[in-house]
Amino acid sequence: MATLTRQDLNFGQVAADILCEFLEVAIHLILYVREIYPSGIFQKRKKYSVPVQMSCHPELNQYIQDTLHCVKPLIEKNEAEKVVVVIMDKEHHPVERFVFEISPPPLLSISSETLLSHVEQLLRAMILKISVCDAVLDNNPPGCTFTVLVHTREAATRNMEKVQVIKDFPWIVADEQDVHMEEAKLIPLKTMTSDILKMQLYVEERTQKT
Amino acid sequence: MDDLYLDNIDEFVNDQNKIVTYKWLSLTLGVHVNIAKQMLYHYLQQKRNESSGTPLHATYLVSGKCVENGSTCHKVSVVREDKLDAVKAKMDVTISVHVYSVQRAELKDSSPLYNTDYDAVKENLKNCNKYSAIRCAAAVSLSSAELQRAQEMALVPPVEKEISKPGLNENTSATSKPSAKQPAGIMGMFASKNASKSQESSKEVKTEQKEDSSLVREQSKVSNALKVESKDTRNKTKRPEFVDRDDEEIESQQKKRRRIKKPQPDSSDDEVVPDSPPVHNVHTPSPKKQVKREPVSHQEESSEVKRRKRRRVLKSNTFVDEDGAFVTEKGYVSVSYSESEEEPEPNSQAKYSSSLKQSFGKRKEEKREKSQKKTSTANKPTKQPSIMGFLQKK
Repeated sequence: MATLTRQDLNFGQVAADILCEFLEVAIHLILYVREIYPSGIFQKRKKYSVPVQMSCHPELNQYIQDTLHCVKPLIEKNEAEKVVVVIMDKEHHPVERFVFEISPPPLLSISSETLLSHVEQLLRAMILKISVCDAVLDNNPPGCTFTVLVHTREAATRNMEKVQVIKDFPWIVADEQDVHMEEAKLIPLKTMTSDILKMQLYVEERTQKT
Repeated sequence: MDDLYLDNIDEFVNDQNKIVTYKWLSLTLGVHVNIAKQMLYHYLQQKRNESSGTPLHATYLVSGKCVENGSTCHKVSVVREDKLDAVKAKMDVTISVHVYSVQRAELKDSSPLYNTDYDAVKENLKNCNKYSAIRCAAAVSLSSAELQRAQEMALVPPVEKEISKPGLNENTSATSKPSAKQPAGIMGMFASKNASKSQESSKEVKTEQKEDSSLVREQSKVSNALKVESKDTRNKTKRPEFVDRDDEEIESQQKKRRRIKKPQPDSSDDEVVPDSPPVHNVHTPSPKKQVKREPVSHQEESSEVKRRKRRRVLKSNTFVDEDGAFVTEKGYVSVSYSESEEEPEPNSQAKYSSSLKQSFGKRKEEKREKSQKKTSTANKPTKQPSIMGFLQKK
């Protein structure tokens, strides 16, 4: 392991890149499937060899990209435990939380061609699961909004503030009400384990949505 | 066949929340596709009769004849259950309605259907048509040598492809990715061997033809043409992509045309010829057009396969300065006639010419110079060097 330190670093970056790309696609897909935004702004694009719906709205895209740009350094250092996409109703009470639990892979190994196509396959399965998640979830009330939370360590937040990674995109500590949902149902969607990342996706849903 | 399959399907749909397409089912259970379709149908009937439990949604594969824009066409499409009656009503003759998939979720678009089949087909790539009803004895996989030749041929102008298309209608399975693949044309539907009932290609013929022409253009640009084709069978999912890339194609074709023009000026650039192009003057009318081409040129350069090399030649540019004075500058300019790369711009002070040299590929810039040289000779007082340049171009 000691002789592979430089490769490990690149490895971590590669894994973070892949994960952030996936999260971008997943967030767009969640917005599409849960009808947060009208389907007219979405357009079919190809990712992992399958069609996915991505938004064309420039500000929305920029927001999501900035969000993930800030999350990436946390993932690289394994400091991000969870990335949560919270869907809130008009009163800003969360109705659904899509939780991506990220953990370092059980066994760190060097990437190879076959490895990445295997990862692609797993991510494809995740995308598929998100597409059919509305079978297990109740409908949301109209007028919902979304936000992205990251669960991380306190030291990391200090670092984030110190390092001006975020140009005009400040992150604030989330309120208790965003983080915890009362009367939540837990619905697991998918788990994936691969050599470069391990991720679990589940949904916390409020029992009474309206 | 016993009823065990009903439990299997129930497990897939309800417990695992999967989308069960007939193709996926046939590959998973190892049955013929027609049997898979019947299984899904029976399952749906049973569940609907019970009228309890979770609601199920289904999609159907409908094929029939209809008249569109004055011409009759055979239309095959995948429709959601709620639109089924509307689509059937629109057709003059409905030839067949098969269950395409069963799932719990109400699908908003067709991408998950493709996603479901993708991995199943990929795993069984060699024999993905084992359970298929479309057969052709003459369809055999190409060997790797033939495959390479086919890929090289794909870069040849698209005209040949269009002629050869009616011949390649014996597709075994719509989403399979065999080596010799073209989207099944309308001929495929009417071929005597292929049963008309078991059409597995779920695309509309009319739009498919449009798609083919755009597909064909794309092939001339993309080297892994065959891979792209196999995805085109689902026209619904793929068309926007073509639209996105259309602009690139047009630019690439224009660029190709420009390339063909190139040989003439290239041959003349071996010598050190002092130019007197009013690069500065003539560029002013059309800076916008050039600016627009810049981003495309970058993309094109990186994606083109065969390019000419470049050589650096000392050139001097003479042009009129802002104050009206003649300025001559010497600098190394590279001239292309094989593989190309980015290169540093020569020391040039002229605003437009330098910005052009920075942002364009060298080739383009020289082309522009040459073309403008031609026009400029009429405007400017002719100097001997410019006449020489003009003559040497021929």
